Amino acid sequence: MASLLQPDRVVYLVRGEKKIRAPLSQLYFCRYCSELRSLECVSHEVDSHYCPSCLENMPSAEAKLKKNRCANCFDCPCCMHTLSTRATNIPAPLPDDPTKTAMKKAYYLACGFCRWTSRDVGMADKSVASGGWQEPENPHTQRINKLIEYYQQLAHREKQDRDRKKMARRRQCMPLAFSQHTIHVVEKYGLGTRLQRQRPGAPISSLSGLSLKEGEEQKDITIEPAPALDEVEPLPEDCYSRPISLPEVTTLRQRLLQPDFQPAGASQLHPRHKHLLMKRSLRCRKCEHNLIFAHPIPSKRESQVLLTLTNPVENITHVTLAPCEDDDPDDINSTAKVVVPGKQLVLAGKDAAAEYDELAEPQDFQDDPDVVAFRKSNKIGFFIKVIPQKEEDADVTVSFKIRHDFRNLAAPVRPSEEGGAAAAPAPAESIWLTHHVELRLGPLAP
Amino acid sequence: CHFPSVKIAAGAVVCVESEIRGDVTIGPRTVVHPKARIIAEAGPIVIGEGNLIEEQALIINGYPENITPESEVEPKTMTIGMNNVFEVGCVSQALKIGDNNVIESKADVGRNVILTSGCIIGAFCQVNTCEVIPENTVIYGSGCMRRVQTERPQPQTLQLDFLMKILPNYHHLKKTVKASHNAS
Repeated sequence: MASLLQPDRVVYLVRGEKKIRAPLSQLYFCRYCSELRSLECVSHEVDSHYCPSCLENMPSAEAKLKKNRCANCFDCPCCMHTLSTRATNIPAPLPDDPTKTAMKKAYYLACGFCRWTSRDVGMADKSVASGGWQEPENPHTQRINKLIEYYQQLAHREKQDRDRKKMARRRQCMPLAFSQHTIHVVEKYGLGTRLQRQRPGAPISSLSGLSLKEGEEQKDITIEPAPALDEVEPLPEDCYSRPISLPEVTTLRQRLLQPDFQPAGASQLHPRHKHLLMKRSLRCRKCEHNLIFAHPIPSKRESQVLLTLTNPVENITHVTLAPCEDDDPDDINSTAKVVVPGKQLVLAGKDAAAEYDELAEPQDFQDDPDVVAFRKSNKIGFFIKVIPQKEEDADVTVSFKIRHDFRNLAAPVRPSEEGGAAAAPAPAESIWLTHHVELRLGPLAP
Repeated sequence: CHFPSVKIAAGAVVCVESEIRGDVTIGPRTVVHPKARIIAEAGPIVIGEGNLIEEQALIINGYPENITPESEVEPKTMTIGMNNVFEVGCVSQALKIGDNNVIESKADVGRNVILTSGCIIGAFCQVNTCEVIPENTVIYGSGCMRRVQTERPQPQTLQLDFLMKILPNYHHLKKTVKASHNAS
């Protein structure tokens, strides 16, 4: 529908901080304010992290520890597709009887898209299906760890200095409050405030959680500055004359996806754990409630003059269309006049069981054949007349207002005024909503 | 002069719904799915053993750019080796295909390409250059990126065995015709 083909043909006006025109498939509806919201009118918050291939959810703290990477899934270093584990049967000598050979399963990683396998870089087949694959160690880990420790200590010291200054100024406040206040500053160099110890043989890289505990006496860590070399290793002599074998050279993208090693040769490309994606939760800025995703009310798909309205809710919806007034401040884009049907259109409710019910009674709506083209369960097609105003118009645009009733079934129950036990929930009231809609109909036929 | 006909070796499974036109020889253990098309227009086609030609695949030995030359052009034979896989919807006009190649779905291989062995033309890749593709090359991606793999793709023996058992249960097969006429 609108989201797959021609998404920009029908746009709705969103009156937020800025006036945004967007197709309905990209808009959200806040149940509490009863207004349309676009992506710019909502605040995004990180809800949780998940792996796109195994869909494993993990809390943000754990994700931070694992450097935002999944523990089980790997990315192909060649084409960044997800790697799958394949098994082969290998004859291997039995541990009891070395003369006999039995078929043992050996597992290797393979990419379905570019046909890369873990054997290409010389990684031996593993005997366990998952968990056997190690990421190579970064040779600079120790130096980086030491630098991080040093800077964490520095940040801690700076924080203490700041606290001391603030305490000197306002003595009556609790000192604890200030430590809490400056915690965001400590995070500048920190990787978390939990004490982590490196576990031997841990599959995740060793740059995890170094920390400082509050008030703990740390010995002064000094670091040596990186030594500057006078002599640099010269280039090989045949650097300019040796012919390049393109399949052996990594592309820039492949190289930079592994900033630790940046291998120049394709035989050094090792797979990395898959990056996690974030699930966002959206919060309406006005009323601070969480939005539901894409609860569209009428959605339109149009051909030249025939428009369809689909009713996604289960009760009958009444829709009135009205043209924009002459001096409507929202009406800036229209290049043609539109004559909309003046009468109210009635849309039947969505009945999910209707397609299975063979004896369903035909809906009895008295439809004016000039206005209503067809009616099918919860859809209706109706005509509007478009009068282009310009002689040659590359993109005929019309705008009008659509007004419909909406019953908010999920609104919070208002407490009954009589008090007492088990008040019946007040029936959800219908409210009338008006939206400004613009249609882009395309070029005029010559 | 011999009447151009389709010669299907014993052991090949060729469904009746496939369209085979012209002088085509199909080797043993080759499976041709229904709706596959093998058209020998500008010359004969010789297909080896153990090949797998899936639905809607098109193997055509046609005149370049569909222009029938008015003067007699010497017909060139299209040779296809062993254990190749032509996946669903692919188009192959390559005159010479070696062994163990895989042409994935909706790929398009031009007439002047020569596939050696172990080559994999990825899905929807269009290769119409004038070259010999070196062994074990993988062409993949929307930009037809290439890389060399260390091992050739495995022959689809399991799949071939399965199909040779199952297809006759559901489809009529074209009769095998021996290439050399033996009075038996």
